[in-house]
Amino acid sequence: MSAAGTKAALQELPPSQAKLLLVVEDSAADAALMLRELRKDHCDVLATVVQTAVEFEQQLKQRRPEVILADYNLGGWSGMETLEILRREGLDIPVIIVTGALGDVLAVECIKQGATDYVLKDGLARLPEVIRRALREKTERTLRHHMEEDLARKVDELARSNAELEQFAYVASHDLQEPLRMVTAYTQLLGQRYRGKLDETADQFMAYAIEGAQRMQVLILDLLAFSRVGRQEMAPTTVDSNAVMKEALHILNAAIQESGAVVTYGELPAVLANSTQLLQVFQNLIGNAIKFRGKQPPCISVQAEKNDRHWRFSVSDNGIGIAPEQTENIFVVFHRLHTRKEYPGNGIGLAICRKIIARNGGKIWAESKDGAGTTFHFTIPLPATGETQGPPL
Amino acid sequence: MNPSFHLLIVDDNPADVSLVREGLAEAAYRGEIDRVGDGAEALAFLNRSGNFGRAVTPDLILLDLNLPKLDGLAVLAAIRAAPELRRIPVVIFSTSQLSRDITRSYELGANCYVTKPGNLTDFFSALKAIDRFWFGSVRLPSRAE
Repeated sequence: MSAAGTKAALQELPPSQAKLLLVVEDSAADAALMLRELRKDHCDVLATVVQTAVEFEQQLKQRRPEVILADYNLGGWSGMETLEILRREGLDIPVIIVTGALGDVLAVECIKQGATDYVLKDGLARLPEVIRRALREKTERTLRHHMEEDLARKVDELARSNAELEQFAYVASHDLQEPLRMVTAYTQLLGQRYRGKLDETADQFMAYAIEGAQRMQVLILDLLAFSRVGRQEMAPTTVDSNAVMKEALHILNAAIQESGAVVTYGELPAVLANSTQLLQVFQNLIGNAIKFRGKQPPCISVQAEKNDRHWRFSVSDNGIGIAPEQTENIFVVFHRLHTRKEYPGNGIGLAICRKIIARNGGKIWAESKDGAGTTFHFTIPLPATGETQGPPL
Repeated sequence: MNPSFHLLIVDDNPADVSLVREGLAEAAYRGEIDRVGDGAEALAFLNRSGNFGRAVTPDLILLDLNLPKLDGLAVLAAIRAAPELRRIPVVIFSTSQLSRDITRSYELGANCYVTKPGNLTDFFSALKAIDRFWFGSVRLPSRAE
């Protein structure tokens, strides 16, 4: 007797609640036994029984079952072939192999081929729980899959919009330079040739125009430098930060002499970084410590401490300090806390530092009390290999 | 100052060309200045083809990189590939600060690379330095050889 087409509504709940179950079984008696077990357990399924591979594929297309019970031995074919068919159709439907007897080797093979579980015919009492678990796992899998897709898409979008932003900043600043150079040069030339030949107001106007053009030129160069941090392919190498420190002090020599600054530093480590960029960070931080000095000559100390994940560098000064609520704002591009008259600059240095450190996998932050000095901390991760960084040089 | 010098400026921006002329005037350069506005014109001028049948081979070429039709690097490559032109010194005078442009220019045989300064004073100093070096210190190859 054919079991095909036998349908059994197992509960009186609305069918939309019932899970669609496809039973692949050539023995009507066995199919009936399975369904009885489910009924006993109030397992809410709507079952269809099929015998042949053709019927199976038809049902797959027509009803899209949520879970499949397949007999291992189907006289002419095997329940294992349902796995092959699902794979071919690209369908993720849990398959539970139901069989009279299954050796360990075959059981392992079933799971390897993608069956969710297997149930022996003399242990059908397990069936309801196995089905429930299969459905639960499927739901979780689907959810996880959606979340992963969602995350991948967001990461992708973010990377693209970041790249576009970099490109935009770069092109804008690069292409703006050319016309701006004309404005700057010609207003300066006007100033040189015609100052004092028109009236006083004209001289003032020219001075404003020259000043504005020059300021914009500096801003564009700063923006270009900032966007360049993202564009440089940095190949981190092992860098002796003592050497980088010495170079920074050499570059800042004039400012150090002029301000009477004393810069002290202990043994600094070798770190994995881009030396040019590390130099820029040291130079900006120490340069700031000198620039934002109080009445006393600047006293600046640079230290490095290691923990199990990174080196933490600290640059401390006795300068004017920063109000605690401002210690994050100072890292924003073009954000300044003082007028240009008080302290010259455009507010790009710390933004560049943050970008460099972030690209190197570290963090940078500031601690300060208004009027009582500032300490900048930044971290540089240890190499991922777990190898030690070598002793301080 | 030797008035027989010939300088060829290859630059598409008239405002820049005018600034170069002003700078050279301040530097007291008294030679001839010819100017072409794109890469194709530059090669026509140097090869005395088309409208440039009576062009004088320059002693020095001041070459911008970002040019219409044929860019500066292509012009430079063509100059270095032509036996009758390859001896002419070429000074790249460009806004670009990209190390890629700088390296490529030298690879293709530029004699020096000068970035156009944004500030007028620096712009004029650069031209003065070019004038003093190329038309003062340096021995240039003779024009007809």
